[in-house]
This record gives sequence, C-alpha cells and structure tokens, in this order.
Amino acid sequence: MPNLVLLASADPAFNLLAARWQMALTLGTHIILAVFGIGMPVLLLAAEWRYLRTGDEIWKALAHRWSHVFAVLFAVGAISGTVLSFELGLLWPEFMRQFGPVIGFAFAMEGFAFFLEAIFVGIYLYGWNRLSKWTHWWCGVPIAISGAASAWFVVTVSSWMSTPRGFRLVDGHAVDIDPLAALLNPSTGPQTVHMLVAAYIVAGFMVAAVYARSLLIDGKCEYSRRAMALGLTMGAVMMPVQFVVGDWAAQSVAQVQPIKLAALEGQFQTQARAPLRIGGLPDAETRTTPYAIEIPGMLSWLGYRDVNAVVKGLDDFPPQDTPPVATVHIAFQIMVGLGVYLLLLSIYAGWFVVRRRRLPEGRWFLKLLVLAGPLSIVALEAGWVVTEVGRQPYLVHGVARTADMVTQAPYVGWLLLATVIIYGAIGAGTIAVLRLLARRELPENARGS
Amino acid sequence: MAPESILLVVVFAALTIYALLGGADFGAGVWEVNTALQASPKERKLLYSAIGPVWEANHVWLIFVLVVTFGAFPMAFAAICQALWLPLLLALGGIVFRGAGYALRSYSSDDRRQQFAWDVVFAVGSTAAPFFLGASVGALASGKLMLTDDGRFDGNFLTGWLSPMAVFSGFFVVVMCTFLAAVFLAREASNLADEELTRIWRQRAIATGIWKGLLSLAGVVYVASDAPQLWDGFRQRSWPLVAGAMAAGFLSLDSLVRERFRIAVGAAAAAVTAVIWGWAVAQYPLLVPPSITVEDAKAPANILWLLIATIALGSLLLVPALGYLFYLFKSGGRER
Repeated sequence: MPNLVLLASADPAFNLLAARWQMALTLGTHIILAVFGIGMPVLLLAAEWRYLRTGDEIWKALAHRWSHVFAVLFAVGAISGTVLSFELGLLWPEFMRQFGPVIGFAFAMEGFAFFLEAIFVGIYLYGWNRLSKWTHWWCGVPIAISGAASAWFVVTVSSWMSTPRGFRLVDGHAVDIDPLAALLNPSTGPQTVHMLVAAYIVAGFMVAAVYARSLLIDGKCEYSRRAMALGLTMGAVMMPVQFVVGDWAAQSVAQVQPIKLAALEGQFQTQARAPLRIGGLPDAETRTTPYAIEIPGMLSWLGYRDVNAVVKGLDDFPPQDTPPVATVHIAFQIMVGLGVYLLLLSIYAGWFVVRRRRLPEGRWFLKLLVLAGPLSIVALEAGWVVTEVGRQPYLVHGVARTADMVTQAPYVGWLLLATVIIYGAIGAGTIAVLRLLARRELPENARGS
Repeated sequence: MAPESILLVVVFAALTIYALLGGADFGAGVWEVNTALQASPKERKLLYSAIGPVWEANHVWLIFVLVVTFGAFPMAFAAICQALWLPLLLALGGIVFRGAGYALRSYSSDDRRQQFAWDVVFAVGSTAAPFFLGASVGALASGKLMLTDDGRFDGNFLTGWLSPMAVFSGFFVVVMCTFLAAVFLAREASNLADEELTRIWRQRAIATGIWKGLLSLAGVVYVASDAPQLWDGFRQRSWPLVAGAMAAGFLSLDSLVRERFRIAVGAAAAAVTAVIWGWAVAQYPLLVPPSITVEDAKAPANILWLLIATIALGSLLLVPALGYLFYLFKSGGRER
C-alpha cells in the first residue's frame, strides 16, 4: 500500500501507477454491473413471457421481483459508467486528444444504445400498471437489445486498443481516419462475442447460484426452483458456446497479437511445436515458466491448427514492449480453469436433463452451483485482465504508451484512495439493498407447493 | 452549414435539455437540503414519483454531451478535462452520490434511519453536482484558464479554475435547478389536483424565481468585471438573448402568481434556454476561451459527418422512444 507521502506526490511514475489502478478498480466494478445489465433483461423477459403464456403467478412474481433487482443494478451501473466516461478525459487527456476522433464514433454509438436502454428501463420499471401486459413485455425487449449493443460498442474500443486500425499518426495527430476500419478491427469479432457470451454466462450462473442457495435451505420452494432453472439454463447453454468462441479468440490473438499470446502462455523462447502450459509460474529472470504441465505441440495447434507451427516467444520482441508476463499468464490460467469448471457443471446439468427430463437438484450439485456464481465473476475479471494487461505497456498497442497518455495532474493517489472508500460504501449499500429485496415476502399466490 | 457548426448546435442543444431535465432532478435534491430534510412523506412522494421514470433518461443527456464533444471536438475536450480537473471530479462525486442515494433509497427498507441516511447522501450529492458543473462552466466562460494554443494546461491543477465568475456560476446553476424543480413540481401537483402541495411548490417557485432574477442581475456585473471578452460578446451579439431570458423569467413569475402552471413551466424553460444560448453566442467562435476556437478543436470532416449521420439516424429511434416515455409519465395520465 502506498504511504501518505507517495499519495500526495506528483511523481509521474506514481501518477501512472495510481491512474492505472484507478481504471482497474472502476472498470473492474463496472464490468460486473454491466454483465447484469446485459444478462438480467433476458431472464426477466423469459420469466414474464412464461407468465403471459401460462398465467402462472409464480412467473409474474419472479419477473416483478427481478425487475427491482435489475433496477438497482442498472442505476448503480449507470453511475459507474458515468465515472468511466469522465475518467477517460480526466485521467487520459492525451489519449482523448490524439485518438478521440478515431474512437469517438464507437462511444457515440454506445451513448445512443445506453440512451435507448435508459428510456425503456424507465418505461418498463414504472409501466407494470400502466401498460397492457404484452406492451409491457415488448418494452423490455429494447432493454435487452440495447444493453448488448452498448457492450458491443464499448468492447470495440478495447479491441481497437489491442489492434489499432483506421488511422495514421503524424506529429501526435491522428490523420486519414477511417472510423469503420477502427470499429471493425481484427480483434473486434472474437473480443465482442467473447464478452457478450461471458455476460450471459455470468448473469445466468449468478442468478442460479443465489437460488441454489435458497434451495439448499428450502428445497420445496417452487419459486426458487424456477428461478434457478432459468439462470442455469442461460449459463449452461452459453458455456459450450464460449469454448468455441474462446478458441476463435485464441486463434485471433495468435495471428494479430503474437506478443499477447506469448505472454498469456508464458512462452519466452520462439519455438516450433510449442506446448500448451497448464499452470506454471513465468519467471522473467530465468526466462522460463517452471511448474507447468506441458502438452507438447498443443499451443501451436490451438494458435495455428498445426502442431509443428512456430510460436514466437517474448524474447523475440523488444524488452520495453513486453507486458507483465506473470500477471497475464496466471490470469489466463484462472479464466480457463474456471471456464472448465463451469463447462463440466453445464455438461452434467445437460446430461441430467436429457436422461431425467428435469434439472438436477442434488445437494452436491446445488453446492457446486452456489460456488459457480462467484467463480464466474472471477473468471470474467481474469479474462479482462488478460486482455488489458496483456496490451501493456501500450495504451494503443504499438502506437501510444500508457505512460505518455496519463494526466499530469497531481494527487491521483488521493483520488484512488477516495474512490476505494466511496466504491466500498456504495458496494456495501448495494449488497445490503439486494439482500433486503431477497428477504421480502413472496405474494401469497406465488408461494407454490 | 459546416459540419462543426451543426455539431456545435447539437452539443449546446443537448446541454440545454440536460440543464432543463437533469437540472430539475438536481433541484429536487437541493430542495431536500433547503427543507433541511424535513419534507413531509407526502411531499417526498410527489418529488420521487415525478422523477422516478425519467431519472435515468434525463441523466443520459450528460453522457451524450460528453461523447459528442470528444468525438467532434477532441482537443477542446482534452483541454477542458485538464484545466477543470478538480471541479469536474467534484461534480462527478456529486453525481455518484446522488445516483447511489436515489437508487438505494428507492429500494431500501422502510426503516426511517436507513431512509434518512440515503436522503442525506442524495441531497448533498444533488447540490454538489450542479454547483461544480456550474463552476466548471463559469471557469470556462471567464476566459481565465491558463491554456496554451494547442490546448495544454499550464496552470495550477488545484486552484487554476477558481475565479469569482466560477464561484458565482456554481451558485447560479444551483439556484436555477432549484427554481426549475419548484416550477415543474408545482405543475405536477396541480395536475394531481393536490391543493396543499400546489400551494407549497408555487410559493417556493415564486421565492426562488425572485432570487434567481436578482442573481441574474448580479451575474451581469460578474461577467462585466471578471470576463471582459465574454462581456463584449454579450454586448455585441447576444444581448437579445439576455433580454429574452429576462422577459421569460418575468413571464414565468407572473404565470406562477396567476397559477397558470403550464405557461410558467414553458417560460422558465425558455429563460434557462436563453441563458445557455446567450453564453454560447457570446463566446462563439471560441469553444474553450481564451484561445481555442471551434475551428482549432474540430475533428476531421469525415468524422464530423459520420457523427451527424449517426445522430440523425439514432434520433429516428430515440425521439419516438423519449416521446413515449414522457407521454406515459408526464402527460398527466394516471395508472390504470
């Protein structure tokens, strides 16, 4: 922890560190709220649709109560999103000055999507008694669509930062700008899809985890059973999809960001028939990754579909361009490892449904599912660390170094400290309110048997 | 019309709508401070039910202003962010607190003490945000920010924004929000045919209206003494707008006295609009005084046209949706 003298310092190196942690904290918080903003509307619509089709009050109670949960998360997410839109300029003014025209279009589109979302959130949340039932349902659809769209546009900016296209830099000014080429850069496809699928997985497994816990306490509650079924269905259906998308993303990284591939695999030496390393601790001193289980040729195959393909190692890149290898590699191991856990759980659930025509409700399965919720968030954060830390020391890869883009304003350390405290308080308040919502009595007619 | 001019109009139009709608939402929180958080439950219910459905949509106008500004005028955006680093951060803090306070209050328990805690957070945040946003605008308009011609900040990051004009503008914007909220709520209460609340909000609207009129006169003195460049612009170009703002202000007070609330709302909105556009016109072609013009700060033409096309197409979706939202909740319609 930085001491007080450092906090108040205007030392550029410390400013950079503080600004990066500030972004990590605020983005890392927002990403959790954002995935609920993308995934929850789908679950809400599914529950309400079931109600409209069957007239079953349990489904209505579910949709109605989830809409309150969504309201809280959306409102807090709108705040953390606003913080980010300010921070781009406040912390990285040089980045905005040089590249604002290149990525401004993506942010403008994101702004529109968020606008539509906010409008329909107002209509949907306050419209339960004002609109006809089906009109109300249809007013929820734009929320789901624009939530996904705004995520898509934001992630295009992240992918552009990894594989920047659509401009030339002349004396610190972007010229010959082609905003569509920037938007549709080589990483856009795999990164945006990977993120969106992750959002549905995390929202699904978190919801499933909450109600799996309720079922462990009261196994007969029909309300919890259905809630868990909806969440688990979304998460488990998306999980195999994510492995296909992840593979696509890995091949894309191999082709357009070879240095990131080397970092996330702890590959120091250039090598034909490169192994896939499971676990391991990259050591930048000895330029090796010991303690890993190695599967020969597997990395070459995953990256290039050829066991004998040459994988470029970190030593073939200038040392001043290398990302922090250990962080990136470990984060990648965590993401993939937890992904496998979620996949196995999904496959088991799917197999159970096929054989028994119902979802598994055994105590062990429920316990593993309770664990899956928070672990899916850990996987999400780890994946995000892989992308963003793997791009360091550049902010715009190969073009602009993070250190050159940071604000010259002093006291960023104090800002970080204040943000930690404020986010902590709001986080605690949000969790308290969500727990309160969960404890509310169910309406009489929605208790079920 | 040059693309940068179109986008400049778009930015100021969005800023105006934000000042009116978002400003009224801020004002609702300022009233919590003004009434020392002693508002009756009935009063609060009106306040929160008035802003509930449109709350998020009103807030997005700010995001819209931000993203269009940095897409279209990146250099100005970077300069503003550097020079106004502290007041913008403080405004952001206010926005965070009032947003959190509002959201968590709406869904927290009925426990009085918990509610009160969130009310305080909401009220303080709602007052701080417009104060520091106003101060930022004042600091910008004063023309005293130490910016180089290529938009780099050369002054003190902590105190460089402070000037009499900035502090005055902070107070002016808070009072403006307070006034808007009172006028809007008077109309809502009268739509609900609630005589007691109508009387309360009408009185408050008149009182803050008079207060705002006096502050506006003081504002003329501040501009004349503290921002000579802006003052020239006011004298040469935007005096009709200033006159219009005053006329609209009087009309809105008069309509409040006569209990014609729809006209009062319209006139109050017109007064605020005229103030913002008066500032814009007086400052043109400067975007960030003292030296950055629209011409200096604009993005390449193809980007500007793309933004315009995006906004035009986006509006096809957005305008009907917004219209529907306001039709549902602001046209005086009742629950089924």
